[in-house]
Amino acid sequence: MNKLSRIGLCIVLTLVVLGAAMPTQAQDGKTLIMARAADTTGLDPHTQTAFASLRLLELIYEPLLTLDENLNIVPALAEKWAFSEDALSLTMNLRAGVMFHDGSAFTSADVKDSFERILKEETGSAARANYLSITSIETPDDLTVIFKLSSPDVPLLAAMTSVNASIMPSELMESGDISKTAIGTGPFKLVEWIPEEKTTLVANPEWWGDGPFVDGVEMRVIPDEASILAALRAGEIDFALLNDPLVATLLKDDPDIILNRVPAIAYHVFQLNPSRTPMDKLEVRQAMSCAIDRQAVLDTASLGEGQVTGPLTIPAYQIPLDQYACYTRDVTKAKELMDKAGMTDGFTIKAIVANAEPPTALAEAQTIQAQLAEIGITVEIESLELSVYVDRWLAGDFDTAVALNGGRSDPYTMYARYWTKTGNLQKVANYIDDTLDTLMNEGKAETDPQKRFEIFANFQKHLVEVAPWIWLYNGYEYTAQQKYVEGFVPNPTDALTSFSQVKLNR
Amino acid sequence: MPRYLMQRLLAFVPTLLGISILVFISLRLIPGNAITATLGTEAGMLTPAQRAALERYYGLDRPHLEQYFNWIGEALRGNLGISVRHGKPVLEVIWDRFPLTFQLALMSVLIALLIGIPLGLLSAVYHNSIIDLCGRLFALIGLALPNFLVGTLIIYFLSVWFGVLPNAGDFTRFTDDPIKNLGQMIFPAFTLGFSFASSLMRMTRSAMLEVLGEDYVRTARSKGLRERMVIRRHALRNSLIPVVTLIGVEIGYLLGGTFIVEFLFSLPGIGRLTVNGIQQRDYALVQGVTMFIAFNFVLVNLMVDLIYAAVDPRISYKHHA
Amino acid sequence: MLKRFQGTHPKVPPKETEIKSRPGVFSRLRRNLSGMVGLGLVIIFISIALLGALGATPYPPNEQYRADRLKAPSHVYWMGTDLYGRDVSSRIMTGAANSLRVALLSVALSGTLGTLLGILSGFVGGLLDTVIMRIMDIFFAFPALLLALVVVTVLGPGLNNAVIAISIVYTPIFARVARGPVLSVKAMEYITAARCLGLRESYILFRHILPNMLAPLIVQFSLALSWALLTEASLSFLGLGTRPPDSSWGVMLTESRGLAERAPWLMFYPGLAIVLGVLGFNLLGDGLRDVLDPRMRGRR
Repeated sequence: MNKLSRIGLCIVLTLVVLGAAMPTQAQDGKTLIMARAADTTGLDPHTQTAFASLRLLELIYEPLLTLDENLNIVPALAEKWAFSEDALSLTMNLRAGVMFHDGSAFTSADVKDSFERILKEETGSAARANYLSITSIETPDDLTVIFKLSSPDVPLLAAMTSVNASIMPSELMESGDISKTAIGTGPFKLVEWIPEEKTTLVANPEWWGDGPFVDGVEMRVIPDEASILAALRAGEIDFALLNDPLVATLLKDDPDIILNRVPAIAYHVFQLNPSRTPMDKLEVRQAMSCAIDRQAVLDTASLGEGQVTGPLTIPAYQIPLDQYACYTRDVTKAKELMDKAGMTDGFTIKAIVANAEPPTALAEAQTIQAQLAEIGITVEIESLELSVYVDRWLAGDFDTAVALNGGRSDPYTMYARYWTKTGNLQKVANYIDDTLDTLMNEGKAETDPQKRFEIFANFQKHLVEVAPWIWLYNGYEYTAQQKYVEGFVPNPTDALTSFSQVKLNR
Repeated sequence: MPRYLMQRLLAFVPTLLGISILVFISLRLIPGNAITATLGTEAGMLTPAQRAALERYYGLDRPHLEQYFNWIGEALRGNLGISVRHGKPVLEVIWDRFPLTFQLALMSVLIALLIGIPLGLLSAVYHNSIIDLCGRLFALIGLALPNFLVGTLIIYFLSVWFGVLPNAGDFTRFTDDPIKNLGQMIFPAFTLGFSFASSLMRMTRSAMLEVLGEDYVRTARSKGLRERMVIRRHALRNSLIPVVTLIGVEIGYLLGGTFIVEFLFSLPGIGRLTVNGIQQRDYALVQGVTMFIAFNFVLVNLMVDLIYAAVDPRISYKHHA
Repeated sequence: MLKRFQGTHPKVPPKETEIKSRPGVFSRLRRNLSGMVGLGLVIIFISIALLGALGATPYPPNEQYRADRLKAPSHVYWMGTDLYGRDVSSRIMTGAANSLRVALLSVALSGTLGTLLGILSGFVGGLLDTVIMRIMDIFFAFPALLLALVVVTVLGPGLNNAVIAISIVYTPIFARVARGPVLSVKAMEYITAARCLGLRESYILFRHILPNMLAPLIVQFSLALSWALLTEASLSFLGLGTRPPDSSWGVMLTESRGLAERAPWLMFYPGLAIVLGVLGFNLLGDGLRDVLDPRMRGRR
């Protein structure tokens, strides 16, 4: 070895030691450092639908209403709201003294412009379908907004809690810079978004609420969840969003890190396509429903983290599982149903699965595959890249699909897209009958909570009975934090809105 | 020589043109587009008019041929288009990510050189001894370990045993804080360098063995030169010639980005840029990055050939076709 | 990553040496330690793969023993069980078959196609040479990862499509490896002499050029097999592997990532299998090079 390479070796070794021994980076101690695997895909709150984008935008922008940790509708930018007697107009009283991040005042004009932008088709807002009952918006004064409705629309309130219904300043919408900057009324202001690296937020001292109590938030992207776990353990980050139950549950017994778990409203489901043979036969679908051991799917794919569920995951609308047909596995009955359908010898179908989206999908598919094999059904699993999967899913181009579908806080908003005759995603669901359509529309107009519960209980029982899809379970939304992070309230929608109340007590 | 250089440079044109067509067609072949990639299943909630508006926004409404010629036309003027995801010109995004990839390539090759060449030389000089055996074993294991396994193990042991993680999502550029940057880069560079060190070791060893058997080395020995002198003066220089090629190929490959290592170590490099671009159907970005990678690749190959000629007196490009 | 194996440029023997005239390749290989160890590993690998392919496994590899999920290695399950309660040792065996199939098929496909193109290109020369090699350059400089992703995204995941993806990446390398020696051999005196004697081109090709290229190609093939094994593992890491529930070593290794802390055996055994498999092909390749390359003869 010559001298040069010896010197080189010394340099490298020194650097290794230096690098490894370096203290955890100098934190100012007042900024909440969080990590997650996925990054924001864009800054326009009206058009972004990816959960990763919503997690950022909900800290910057605010809607008129919001959801608390029990999914109750609570005030945000609107303080009070009331439907008229005929339920054809909705009056909202806005919060006074609210400022946008650019210093301009928040008024009813911004609300009107924001909703008009969502409703305008050129905007391309996928959430538009939830606000179609709005025919016009009146602004009698700066702090009052009246929405005129074409028909009674109770779920409209829940739809208004969405980040997609955020209020933007009128000037921003006119300038057309919505995808480049973010100017909201929320507790944090956007400083910089470096895609796939990090997003820097600074506290908004002018925020109308009590808080925020940190100087800012730094959202980092760590693409591999195992590395997020490593970062938490090494004390390099304060807070993390986790998706994979296999990774998250490793923290369950960790004495130094708190794992927050809250039952999710997103649901894992095995979608059948009733427009294809032999799933067009009711008995075949029911046989498949009876043959699947939902608890076993949950135990394998999510290590038992979650609960078997019917169609509605919203706690207020859930009914006991024994009211559903075939929710305990019954292979004998399944085989009888197969005989009845003339399918004694079974058949072969394909199941599409998105690659690692959610991380549990492939495990669910393989467990279902083994269970259906017992009644003679051969399932071939096609694991697809996410966008390819979405493309096929949207086109209804599948026999069966393993999916994790997002939940909503209102049953109508959650399922009208699939189980009404005019639903936008009817071509994905490919099944509708008069009972489902009627119950949905009754539920939309009904204002009495008890009656509404009954309507949706019947809706769920019927849906499980006719089995176009086989609902499996809902898991947990996981967040993990260091012990000194105080005041975070986990939300079933995974929302980070309580960051405004977080304190760092290092 | 200049004529040869011109010929080689001219040969870039059809290659790069072919690659531009290949990448363009590839991207349009894979299902999904920027709309479904951004909105996911919510894209199904769009009305036809909304969808048309978004297609206009992403430039998907133009015929493919027009899209291609627009792209090439602009690219020749130095404009690779705008990345829909990053909201910035593609070239700007690439220049933002490239220094990391370049640094990672250099560091891992450097690490590989510092480990591989001395080991190879030792192995050859002490041929068939215990040193040779250990060296060859190291090389074989290095070649046999998939680098995602090496990376996963490094991260696990560092964080669990030592409580450190070189990069917790806060990648720091060399120009901002060199020490911190090197601390973050050393482990990924080692992960990549480990397997290359093995290839280098093997190449050095066999080249050296070959040279040690050549007549002129035997002559040098018989002239009574000491073994050290023989090795340093004659054998080393000549046995390093094939190693140069190997390094060139490796750098050309590394400059294309190394997705798995970037993914494991949270490094924002060219590899992750490419894969994320594909997943988001960010056509302009993927097209731009591919052209960039391909250009680097052919350029590095040319440089290797030139260096090769400079080091090896036996090669002359005069009669080369 | 889809690392391109560095085609060790085969050197063409300086003078005509015909393979069949050499005394016993195998008897020489028997005296080569690394070659024998490699051969041993490869034979073990192939036997395991054969047993796996024939279904002679301790348990049915895809059977889920739900009561025995994530069990550590024991006398019941020699290598433990996975998340579904499937026997890891049985899956290693069928995984061997699938991994070997991908490696063999992709090397055979790219090797045959690449070698043919390379020989054709080098032998005919002229415009055809330029066109073929330019196309090869395009695929060579095209990012391998993107190429593989596109192939698998368009065709869907599965063993055969993984084979196609790997083959497209490797074909240009084989073409380059084959073309070089053809050019050098073509320029040699005895070929010129053969031409002068009025021998037909095809005769020259088969009688003189091909035998001379065989040695470097055999070495290249065995080394390429080891790279293909690693590439299969990397493709699996990217989610482009076998169709579930079928296993391959790469798929098993990837599945183990979230579970390695709870069940280290899930990472250990497939990892060991890949390392030994790659090691085997590498050692065998080294041994063959020593034996087949006349200049290395008698040197060790």
